[in-house]
Amino acid sequence: MSVVFDGTPLKAMQSSHSHKARTALSAQELSQEIKSFISGVDALQGRKLSVREHARCAVRLLRSVPACRGAVLEHLRGVYDEHVSTFLHNLETEGNASSGASSNLEDIIQEVHGVLSEFIRLNPRAWAPLVSTWAVDLLGQLSSKHAGRRVAPHSSSLNELLQLWMSCAATRSLMEAYSQCLAAMLAWCPDACVDALLDTSVKHSPHFDWVVAHIGSAFPGTIISRVLACGLKDFCSHGGKDQGLLVEKGSKVPKIGSVVGILGHLAAHHSDSIRKELLRMFQESLTPSTPLSPTSSSTSWEASPQLRRAAVPFLLQLAAMSPNLFGAVSSELVEMLRPPVLLQLQALLQGLPREELDNMLGLAVHLISQSPTGGARVLKFLADTATPASVIISGPTPSPHEGVREGCDRLLQMLLLHLHKLVFNRSDGAEVSPLSSASSQPQRVTPFLEELRSHVGQLCAETLRLERKRHLWLHQLLCLLSVYGGPSVATETLCQLLTQARNPEELALAWQLHTTLSSCMAGLIPAAVAHCVAQIHTHTLGPRQLRQLLLNLAAAIQSQDEERKGAAGAHFSMAVQIGSAISGHLHDFGPLLLHGDSAVSHAAVRLLSCSPLPRTSSPAHLLLLSRAAVTHFFLALRRRGDAKKVGRDVGQTGEAVSCSVLLLSRFAAYSPLTLKAILQQLVEGALHKGNADLFGGQIADMSGAPVASPSVSPDLGASLLDINCRFGTTVNFSGSVWSVFHAGVIGKGLKVRTAVNLPDPSAVIQNIQTLLAVIVQCCSSSSFNGSQSPSDPDEPQPINAEAAKVVAVTLVENVCPDVANGELSWPPEEHARTTVERDIYIRRCFEAHPILFPLLQVVAAGRPALCYCSAVLRGLLATLLSHWEGSRDALSTDSPWHLQASCLLVSCMGEGQLLPPVLANVHEAFAHLTPFEVRLLLLAVWEYVRGNGPLPQKFVFSSDKCMFCRDFSRDGDVSRYVAPIHSVLHKNIDRLGHLCWRFQL
Amino acid sequence: MGDIRQSLLPRDVLSAAKELLYHLDIYICNMVQSGRQPPQVDSKTLDLIEEFILHTPKDRNAPVRRMSALQELQLLEIMCSCFQEQSRDTVRQLMFSALFNLQGNQADESRMALLSKLVSMAVAVGRVPILECAATWLQRTHRVYCVRLAQVLVDDYCSMVPGSGPTLRNIHSASPRFCCQFITAVTTLYDLTSDELTPPLELLQMIVSWIQDDPRLVLINFLNSPLSGSQPISSLDITPLGGLIRWCIKAPLAYRRDKKQAGTNGSSDGEPDAPHLFSALHLSVLQVFMLLPNILNEKGLFGRLALLQMESVASLTSDLSRLLDQTDKHTLAATTDTHGASQLALDRLAQALQVAMASGALLCSREDLRAICSRLPHNNLLQLVLSGPVMYYNNIHTPPLAYSPHAAHSPMPAHATLPTLPTHTPHTPLTSHPASHTQYPTQPFITGMPFPFRPGH
Repeated sequence: MSVVFDGTPLKAMQSSHSHKARTALSAQELSQEIKSFISGVDALQGRKLSVREHARCAVRLLRSVPACRGAVLEHLRGVYDEHVSTFLHNLETEGNASSGASSNLEDIIQEVHGVLSEFIRLNPRAWAPLVSTWAVDLLGQLSSKHAGRRVAPHSSSLNELLQLWMSCAATRSLMEAYSQCLAAMLAWCPDACVDALLDTSVKHSPHFDWVVAHIGSAFPGTIISRVLACGLKDFCSHGGKDQGLLVEKGSKVPKIGSVVGILGHLAAHHSDSIRKELLRMFQESLTPSTPLSPTSSSTSWEASPQLRRAAVPFLLQLAAMSPNLFGAVSSELVEMLRPPVLLQLQALLQGLPREELDNMLGLAVHLISQSPTGGARVLKFLADTATPASVIISGPTPSPHEGVREGCDRLLQMLLLHLHKLVFNRSDGAEVSPLSSASSQPQRVTPFLEELRSHVGQLCAETLRLERKRHLWLHQLLCLLSVYGGPSVATETLCQLLTQARNPEELALAWQLHTTLSSCMAGLIPAAVAHCVAQIHTHTLGPRQLRQLLLNLAAAIQSQDEERKGAAGAHFSMAVQIGSAISGHLHDFGPLLLHGDSAVSHAAVRLLSCSPLPRTSSPAHLLLLSRAAVTHFFLALRRRGDAKKVGRDVGQTGEAVSCSVLLLSRFAAYSPLTLKAILQQLVEGALHKGNADLFGGQIADMSGAPVASPSVSPDLGASLLDINCRFGTTVNFSGSVWSVFHAGVIGKGLKVRTAVNLPDPSAVIQNIQTLLAVIVQCCSSSSFNGSQSPSDPDEPQPINAEAAKVVAVTLVENVCPDVANGELSWPPEEHARTTVERDIYIRRCFEAHPILFPLLQVVAAGRPALCYCSAVLRGLLATLLSHWEGSRDALSTDSPWHLQASCLLVSCMGEGQLLPPVLANVHEAFAHLTPFEVRLLLLAVWEYVRGNGPLPQKFVFSSDKCMFCRDFSRDGDVSRYVAPIHSVLHKNIDRLGHLCWRFQL
Repeated sequence: MGDIRQSLLPRDVLSAAKELLYHLDIYICNMVQSGRQPPQVDSKTLDLIEEFILHTPKDRNAPVRRMSALQELQLLEIMCSCFQEQSRDTVRQLMFSALFNLQGNQADESRMALLSKLVSMAVAVGRVPILECAATWLQRTHRVYCVRLAQVLVDDYCSMVPGSGPTLRNIHSASPRFCCQFITAVTTLYDLTSDELTPPLELLQMIVSWIQDDPRLVLINFLNSPLSGSQPISSLDITPLGGLIRWCIKAPLAYRRDKKQAGTNGSSDGEPDAPHLFSALHLSVLQVFMLLPNILNEKGLFGRLALLQMESVASLTSDLSRLLDQTDKHTLAATTDTHGASQLALDRLAQALQVAMASGALLCSREDLRAICSRLPHNNLLQLVLSGPVMYYNNIHTPPLAYSPHAAHSPMPAHATLPTLPTHTPHTPLTSHPASHTQYPTQPFITGMPFPFRPGH
């Protein structure tokens, strides 16, 4: 209330005064006023003037004595300052209104403001420059003077600052006055006021920002362009050469600093217009000046060629100083740099002196390296532009684009150099002070590289395109990126290269990269391989990529072998490293053998077949691997067969098989465990239903149970009762005396044999050969042999007894389902009746699987392993005996399979030294005998074996032959078993004469 | 005097200046009393002034002392009272020139600034002595600086501070000499070549009213100054006559251009507009010319001193012809408006030339004039002036017409007003009419010349 009462008379007085002033004071009065104003004492009454009266006096002088203008304005500074002090003090004392009211100068401020704005309105040309300078200067002074006050917010919180100052009458009035001036001056000399603003901004830097921000948001469009224009002019007058010395100058900071500051503030709300303005500046600096075109801006810096030339360096400098501005512009700038623009740019820059160009180049490089976003695009642009278009176009006369291209080329190279420095200095710095931990010395961040980290894949792909110069640049960049990003990026990069390379040349890039990086990074390759494995596990790679990766890895390891012969070196060591890394991850690659895509599995087998094996490995892994390898082997065989049928990919599938064979043999040689597993699985696999046909086998009905042919019982919805009523299904009597054989159902004839589709015999033979080769290799190269190596490489290694035993045992397990009567020693021949069912089963097995005989031969070769097949041999022999006994044919050759089986059996037993040579040779005569005679001979064999049990302990290792041998002389007399042979010889001496010598004791 | 420097150095800016002024006053008083001839302030004193009043750094190392605006105002105030209180003109003059005469050194800028402020302030607070000194200064100084001073005053009183015009108007009564010099400077400054160099309306009004009130004002410096010859080179003209004639003649063209730009909103109601003001001014100037023969005869200078320089007339005509050319070019279809304006300008030229020649202000032959005016477009009156003999009113037997302000627009009546002018000039008493008449008794070349407009032809 007191304010109101206090104010009213003052208002009246003030109006009367102003009225008086308008009606022209006399010269005498004016002189009195001046005296009062100067002394601060009322000239007539001799008392001291209050601040308010003094200010009034000043205003009167302002209105009537032009010469006092300067002094009055200066005096008013004090008044404004006083008001601000009071204002802040009131705020600090939490609004003690009573004390504040007395010295509240708000009315006088209003009065001054009224006078000034009237003057500006009446004569803007004269007053606007004067008042704007004054107001801005005073604002600067006030805001920096009172910046330290308790209530004043920190200069960084711009909004609070703005709020505070705009609530203060003095500063608000100044601001309004300045705005008015600016609005008036924009019409004819906008530069002057913006200049003042910039100068003050420089002087009172952080505290003055709110003014700039306010003005800027009040006049965004104009202020932005003016500020830019002013900055450009200033920049131009300072000359580009000072750029580098910017920091050292200190005292005389060019306006560019405040330009950056101002634009930075405005960027918060007007980033769009700032960007537009900057881009416009850039564009207009390029377009040749057309004096006729009326450019909107009155500054018309575009008109001066010198300024236009300076625009680009200026913009660069601006961008260098403010990441905000740079960020705003960079993205669109790249879009804008189309060929015509580039040509213009080149034309513009050609005029610049060399050192300035170098400066700019350095600046541009710096900017690119610091740009946090759009790095990939910039890079692409640079690379695209710098890559020579094509050999044909760049003829003898350099096209105009050639200059642009060279410029870009140079820029790119500088960029790489710069990045190189950044990257390597950075790590150097870390090495110099090893004591300081990584956290205490934060590594310098290079935004460009930081951003590219996420583009490693694309970069790799680009690099691998091997386009002329581009891949060199990119490769270099990848190196830098890897060093910068540390092991993770390096790994990623290497991994990408390994995945994406498609031929040796491309793969060589990976090696080059590694060579560069290996000096500063350890364990790169293991990490890369681990990364690849991780990718495999996560299924991020498509089949093609996967295949490529595996092939590349294989190629890498294989190069090791080649290099070993030739020059060794870093390359070699790298191949070794890859090998060892992969060997650690073999079990991860194992499953890939069974990948659905044949190409992948092929690649996998290639990799595995050439990769070295780990020193140690867990049995579980080994078993998994061996299972996978064996399964793959059969797959490969099948594929080979299929390919042959179709006549396509024969070579590849063949190679897959050989790789698989190699893998198996190497793997088998790795440890007894693997050997055993592989052999076991190989045999099992060969006999497996699914693979049987590969080896000419038939899926025979092994059980005695009848096959429910679909034609017979079409009714699928058969009742359980019906099934149970069927003979033989209710109880399984197999192996017991109750066994019943079904040859068919009475009245329906013989049981229908399943349809036989014989595969291509040549393929079967090939497959069998392959399988045998694998098994023989596995058995002979096994680790059981230890250190011993044959002196003669041509002589095949003897089959290892242990390995053969494995095969034998597996064979027995598979062929002979019943373990009863499984002892090694043979019973009398009559006892065979008890095992008829089992024996028939065994025979059917042999019938169904032709592969069994060759396997038996293998076993036989690995003495004394055949002993373990005793049960099988016995069963087979028993069925053969009963066959020959019951046979009513004239000649043994009338039942060919049995003849062959008999021959093979006997020869196998001979080879396995279950029989002495005399007895073993009997099979030679079989073909010439009658079935009965064959039976006689086979019976003799049986008798011998019964008499001289096939026990392994009868074999002794003869070191000279490197194998086990049986000394038949220790056994009983052979002659009594030879007697039937001799009788048969006698009987058929006409046909068997030539064989007599074979049976001499 | 030079020895007080050491005592001044430690003082603050203002008190040093004050003390120096005080010492200067004493020093000059002494000098005048000792009667030394010529009374000249020595260079050491001038240096002190430059150092302590104008604050020009003596050497690079010395810190720059600068007065705040407030201190400057105080200094001005002190100077004002100092000059006011000094009773002796000589001392005042000497002191003023010691302070403000240009020395052609780097101090001149601040000297000018200080002077401008001082004069502006003196105008405001009516310090006659200062204005008198300034008038002298304006007579002696190079015209460039005079123009600058005038510019400051015009800016201050006619544009910067609204409502302060009347204060400036007062200088007429306060110091006619200064007022006269001011008019000269202003007419030199505003040569109507561009918008910036067109006088503000307020100023124009002021000048017209001054001259209308007292035509002799224009001549006052001529009357008061000693004989010609003492004029420094390239100082202002001794009278503003040349400049005023230029204004009147160029105004129709220049203001038309103005008006075209300003559009229709420039009409200030109540106040007389520029054409009228110039018309009145033209009349006043012609009246001033009419005063001249008496004065020249009194001084014995008739026919010997050209108040209107031939060169300035030549430059005026060439300006005019260029201006007319431009006008024609700009408005291809010359409207009656533009035609009227250019004819008005030419009429005024003719009138001014004739009256100036007749009154002895312009000394030249008709051939010279013809040569000068050859490039101008046709104008009846001008043709008449150039070809015919000078027609003195007592030889023309035409009945005197009543003067009307509109008459100036048509050539014939304007021409006809000439004879009647003396009778209507308020400041010329009627009794002087026969006297002036008798001063030109013989005009041997009047008759026999062809005169197309003579009645009876």
